[in-house]
Amino acid sequence: MSTPAIRAVGLRKQFHSTDGTPVLAVDDVDLTVHPGEIVAFLGPNGAGKTTTVDMLLGLTRPDAGTIEVYGTAPGEAVRQGRVSAVMQTGGLLNDFTVEETVRAIAALHGRTDRVEVVLERARLTDLAGRRVEACSGGEQQRLKFALALVPDPDLVVLDEPTTGMDVGARQEFWRAMRADAALGRTIVFATHYLAEADEFAERTVLMARGRIVHDAATADVRAAYGGRTLTFRPPAAVVGADGIDAAWLSRVHDALAPLGVTDVDVSAASLETAFLALTAELEGAAR
Amino acid sequence: MTASTFADTPTPAPAAARTGRRPAMATYARLDLRRQLRDRIGMFFVVGLPTFMFLVFGLGSDDPIGSGNVAMYVMISMAAYGAVTATTSVAGSAATEQVMGWGRQLGLTPMRPVAFVAAKAAVAMAVAAVPVVAIFSIGAATGARGHWTDWVLSGAVVWLGSALFAVYGLAICLVFRGPNAAGIASGMIVVLAFLGNVFTPMSGFMLELGRLTPLYGYVALARFPLTDGHLPVAGTDPLWLPVANVLAWTVIFAMLALWGVRRSRART
Repeated sequence: MSTPAIRAVGLRKQFHSTDGTPVLAVDDVDLTVHPGEIVAFLGPNGAGKTTTVDMLLGLTRPDAGTIEVYGTAPGEAVRQGRVSAVMQTGGLLNDFTVEETVRAIAALHGRTDRVEVVLERARLTDLAGRRVEACSGGEQQRLKFALALVPDPDLVVLDEPTTGMDVGARQEFWRAMRADAALGRTIVFATHYLAEADEFAERTVLMARGRIVHDAATADVRAAYGGRTLTFRPPAAVVGADGIDAAWLSRVHDALAPLGVTDVDVSAASLETAFLALTAELEGAAR
Repeated sequence: MTASTFADTPTPAPAAARTGRRPAMATYARLDLRRQLRDRIGMFFVVGLPTFMFLVFGLGSDDPIGSGNVAMYVMISMAAYGAVTATTSVAGSAATEQVMGWGRQLGLTPMRPVAFVAAKAAVAMAVAAVPVVAIFSIGAATGARGHWTDWVLSGAVVWLGSALFAVYGLAICLVFRGPNAAGIASGMIVVLAFLGNVFTPMSGFMLELGRLTPLYGYVALARFPLTDGHLPVAGTDPLWLPVANVLAWTVIFAMLALWGVRRSRART
């Protein structure tokens, strides 16, 4: 077995809120990600995703537990250029142009040879001369993505990468990410867009209140907590402008079979159902 | 056997192949410098305004003062004002960049924080040289007179001494956090310049008070080669006075900056 891309054991991080009460942002998180995996961190705001990402990048030191990225300390992996990230809170300088921004970061990585490649990769070549402040939210996000690709990392961590993108830009972004993943990069992304985890990740880690509440193949997460739903189409005659005929519906309740139901379709519940069920379960337990 | 083809995804390069790439700090500093020089409004306050004030107050003033003339005296004062505005605003922008999240972006590169400070210091000193060179050149061309050692020593003190106000800019931005901090730091420079006897010669109580303010010592020291401590209105400053002023404020600004850094770290 090769060295895991990420190996975290017993991670814990506590913050003090403004009124001094301690908040446990990350609570006893164990996680192993292998090279080449695409993993989604899914959870509501405040679930501990960003804090976990920060510890993964060596920007925050855990209070307890250990975390290794490719067998070394996260800070060291960052310095070696093995891991990079698109951060939610990472900023750009408004008065740099797109190309200058990439050049500046490439200089710091000692990888000035990568400037053209990553501009091309993030489809920014045409915008190279534009000032950052003149770029749309989606374009700035693509620029951050280009910066993350500069060191040619083995692991890319994306924290809410598609924030500020419209639907088209979002699809475009994930298309580019898929192409990158196909080249063998390990990708870990935090999101609260369920559809993104559902469509893109092979594995979903559900986080709520600082804990990992489920960690499995995305399809399994969906199946295990969502159950199954039976849908059917009623005969056209009972469907009116104000819904389905009530009398007919009560007869459906009485007996399904002899009433001429056609096109019975069994479909899996969405990941959203699983997500809501899981987080609600935890909220209930906390009360 | 076919399973092995799936396992055959590109394996990460060994760590040894990845180390040894050194941050090209000079390239970064050059890009940052270009960005600073392109800021037209910022450069107006660094070069345009002090040059304008030299032209208004100093041009053609041939009355003797010390080993030169009044034009020389005003030239040194305005160059100092420009240089200080430059270092304050570059240091302030460094603090603002941290607030804007650029610091987190830099945190994901192999660059060490010490190298960042060194690069910013180099940029600050390069920007500070612009008004000094510009105003000294205009002064030389328009009749500022002094012994050649006055030119060299004053120029050196103006340029190097402006570094103190990089520490000042950093301290102010760390104390007054937020996007307005850099503006507060630059705005206070104007007030401190008046109090520091930079713009108009002061006397009496205002001069007594001014001697305690941070720009007084720096500018008095820069003018010392020309004036030997003689003040334009009346009186003399012994050399120890501006030296003590500069040392005291260096300690105060450094301690404020350190306290600010500690406080900002305590947050996370």
